[in-house]
Amino acid sequence: MAKDNKKPENIFRKLARWFVRFFMGVKYEEKWFFKDQKSDDSVPDDSDLIVSPGKQAFQRFTSRKFAVVSVFVVLIMFAIVFIGPLFMEKYSDSYTEVTLKNLPPNRSMMKVPSELKNDIKMIDSYGPFTVGLSNAGKVYVWGCKKIGASDATVAVPEEVENDKIAMVAAGVDHIIAISETGKIYGWGNDRFGQFGRSENSINSPTIEAMPEELYNNGIDVAHVKKLTCGYQASAILMDDGKVYIWGNKQAYSNMDYFLERENIVDIDFTLNYIVGIDSKRNSIVTGTKGLYAMAKTSIGGETEKMFTFLSGRKIVEITAATSSICMLLDDGSIALSGDFPSDSIDVPVIPEGEQVVDIKAGNYHYTCLTDKGNVYSFGGDHYYQAQVPKNLTGVSAIYAGSFQNYAVDSNGDFMKAWGLKGFLFGTDDVGADIFERVIAGGRITMTVGAVAVIIEVIIGVILGCLAGYYGSWVDILIMRMAEVFSSIPTIPIMMILTSIIAQMSFTTNERLFMIMVILGVLGWPGFASITRAQILVARESEYVTAAQAMGVKERRIAFKHILPNIISVILVSVTLSFAASMQTETSLSFLGFGVNYPQPSWGNMLTRASNATAAKNFWWQWVFTSAILVFTSVCINTIGDTLRDVMDPKSSNDR
Amino acid sequence: MGRYIAKRCFYILAVFVLLSFLLFNLYRLMPANRAYTDAKTELQGLKNSIPADQRDAKFDELYLKYQRRYGTDTNNNLVLYLRWVGVYPLYDGKCNGIFQGNFGFSYEHNKPVIELIGPYLRNSMIIGALSEVLILAITILLGIKCAVKKGTGFDRGVQFVSLIGFSTPSFITYIMFILLFSSILHIFPVQGMKTPGSDYHGMRAILDTLYYTALPLICLTFGGLASVTRITRASMIDALSLDCIRTARAKGLKEKTVIYSHAWRNALVPLVSIFVGGFFGIIGGAIMLETMFGFKGMGLLFYNAVKNADYDLIMFINIVYVFIGLVANLVSDLCYGIVDPRVRISR
Repeated sequence: MAKDNKKPENIFRKLARWFVRFFMGVKYEEKWFFKDQKSDDSVPDDSDLIVSPGKQAFQRFTSRKFAVVSVFVVLIMFAIVFIGPLFMEKYSDSYTEVTLKNLPPNRSMMKVPSELKNDIKMIDSYGPFTVGLSNAGKVYVWGCKKIGASDATVAVPEEVENDKIAMVAAGVDHIIAISETGKIYGWGNDRFGQFGRSENSINSPTIEAMPEELYNNGIDVAHVKKLTCGYQASAILMDDGKVYIWGNKQAYSNMDYFLERENIVDIDFTLNYIVGIDSKRNSIVTGTKGLYAMAKTSIGGETEKMFTFLSGRKIVEITAATSSICMLLDDGSIALSGDFPSDSIDVPVIPEGEQVVDIKAGNYHYTCLTDKGNVYSFGGDHYYQAQVPKNLTGVSAIYAGSFQNYAVDSNGDFMKAWGLKGFLFGTDDVGADIFERVIAGGRITMTVGAVAVIIEVIIGVILGCLAGYYGSWVDILIMRMAEVFSSIPTIPIMMILTSIIAQMSFTTNERLFMIMVILGVLGWPGFASITRAQILVARESEYVTAAQAMGVKERRIAFKHILPNIISVILVSVTLSFAASMQTETSLSFLGFGVNYPQPSWGNMLTRASNATAAKNFWWQWVFTSAILVFTSVCINTIGDTLRDVMDPKSSNDR
Repeated sequence: MGRYIAKRCFYILAVFVLLSFLLFNLYRLMPANRAYTDAKTELQGLKNSIPADQRDAKFDELYLKYQRRYGTDTNNNLVLYLRWVGVYPLYDGKCNGIFQGNFGFSYEHNKPVIELIGPYLRNSMIIGALSEVLILAITILLGIKCAVKKGTGFDRGVQFVSLIGFSTPSFITYIMFILLFSSILHIFPVQGMKTPGSDYHGMRAILDTLYYTALPLICLTFGGLASVTRITRASMIDALSLDCIRTARAKGLKEKTVIYSHAWRNALVPLVSIFVGGFFGIIGGAIMLETMFGFKGMGLLFYNAVKNADYDLIMFINIVYVFIGLVANLVSDLCYGIVDPRVRISR
């Protein structure tokens, strides 16, 4: 192409032209940058026909849809597992939550049934499901209705559907309802005497069965002051200060203390203790010395002895979360006692002139309503349950439970709900979100795979180059070494090495790094022999001989002629080894060596599935993780296979 | 040929000594001090007969006694290794090592290692051999058929399934099989080796064992199919594109003869090491399979030994693994010579 009257090109245009030529080829370079210099169309353009081997391989690669899709899938997977954790600011490896164990995938935890939306009387929850009661006396349950592996469900039974219910409360796996005639219904799981009078609950020393009079005769519903449920226990408080409590004594060790009480004015359950206030209203009654004996005004505030803190004020009402209590005092202020999670939001400053009228507790957070209809929230915020939506005013009632909040206006109409919606992939056996763990585990599994392969490549290629280049005794020594290394079985030796490094005092990250190094050091022989073979072939090939004959320098031959030819083969091996390293890591972690809990990896997240019963009942705990693992592996292997096919000049297009 | 084998055997021995020395030193890092535990136990037994102030002295004495008995009364790793092999005398002047037939003592099982492994080895070898035969029978037929019918729907289907199988870690395959056959269809039992509490004899016992080993066998076979099928297919495709195949076809040979005689002979060369490795691998057992099924084989034995830091047992099994690996290398090299006459092995 004639470019006689060429103008001096500016540097940016030149760079752009180079860029186009490098990535898109000469054809586009001419089309875009020299279009003013019309060439004769009748003469075929040479540049259309020139295809470099790399470009040819690329073209053949892109002609395979499956491989191209695989590349995108792997890239997206990488992006998700490496960028994803940045968005999971609340995530922590060792997070556990006892009330959210083994939940199936569900996003309906906050979905108030439409029939209930305009007629809300009350809403309560303690665990993964929520129970609501309408003014018409109908009970609705939403969230995860199936409980654990058992067939027990908290779906509303028929007899309750047909009765008119006055009060309802939810525990972690049971619901108690009192009808307007005083009949007490219970449903859900009754293994620990949560309701009813089963043989087991009467005979077991660790269970306090439901009182016989309540079971047979019901209760005087007009005088019931409060119905509340705890982890696996329930309590009914009467106007005259009498308390009925029943349920699992192992969960609530101070239950005996409350069984005989007559002067209780308020009662609630934390996760491990029953707490109440008696008619003196000057301390928290627990029956255990020193428990909740200190109080403070804010989460980060100084604690004081209850007596000096109150200094004459009285406690009006208490409400309890997992390990803390919030008290409403008679001067309208809020006091706290107990421990709060580290990510807690502190008590907000309530503007002058506003008075707190109601406090409701979730499992970690508290939501309070003021007389001006404003809502404030504080406490544990792991599921953003303490983030009150903006512009929420005119609220006349609030309900909070486990990790959700519901605001209701003066007509009893549903206004807004906030908090935990549910889990896309369910939760595992300690109550952690599997979706988050899949992302965090993917980062570890992929990092281990990638770093192990990088170490393999570095050692293997260097040693392979030395062996291939120098030949003679260096070659023999290195290749014998490779043979020795490859005759060591990987999984057994890894098991021993990881159990040795488990004894040493490494931090978790150092341990992880050691695992990568061990995987890499054991895997190099494959790369070494490939590199050596390629170098031997390349050294004898005509183009190298030609280059030598032309007097090209040794270094230029090595880097410009030999290296590009062996890189394609190494690239294929890298891809396939990456998948293989990931599989080795997951296998090891699955067996309990390799990456250990609480650090997640796609392998150790599946450990529980080795139990057939658990694998069947809690299918979501392994199906998603293994599907993603297999899917990623398939994609990586597809890329590797396709690369091998397209880079092999012998293979035909139709393979 | 004889000289070559002798040379290779000598080489194997040298590598074996080197590796076992390295492994021996590595395992010394594992926290297991048999002399210490034994001395403690004996001291506990003597608790009342010794006054409290003499207890420490007594412990030191017992500790030294046990250290001398087990040959750990030195920190010199070379000496320890030589004692383990059985060429360096213990404190009492006698050698007691591998050469004397002492392969160590399993702490967990309270038995000498050599007496312990018999039934485990037998179980592993039975299931391994059966599944290896099945794998070969299936994959060879499948691989050849795919290579011959390259590009057809059948080939693509097999390729796709084997790609998924190859990418699935074995334990996920096992989980799915256990779930399908045991939990959902209730065809096979989940775990164990025989019906609990049964005392069958003769044919009943064999059938019972077969019933219990059927699922592990299916799993092991299925887990191994994918990768071998892929390799068989690839090498068969390479073989079919050789010039000699074109010549054979041009000669007018039957297609069957061309494929099974001419092409297969050529395709076998890259497969030899995989087949030989597979057959030697059965001695080592399948760690993943045996731990998941509670199948009493070498893999489970090794897994439990590592979990419990049963030092002598780990050492022994690992030495067996390494030995198998080295011998398998030699045998596959010899097989190359048989399969491919062009390879001259008596170099």
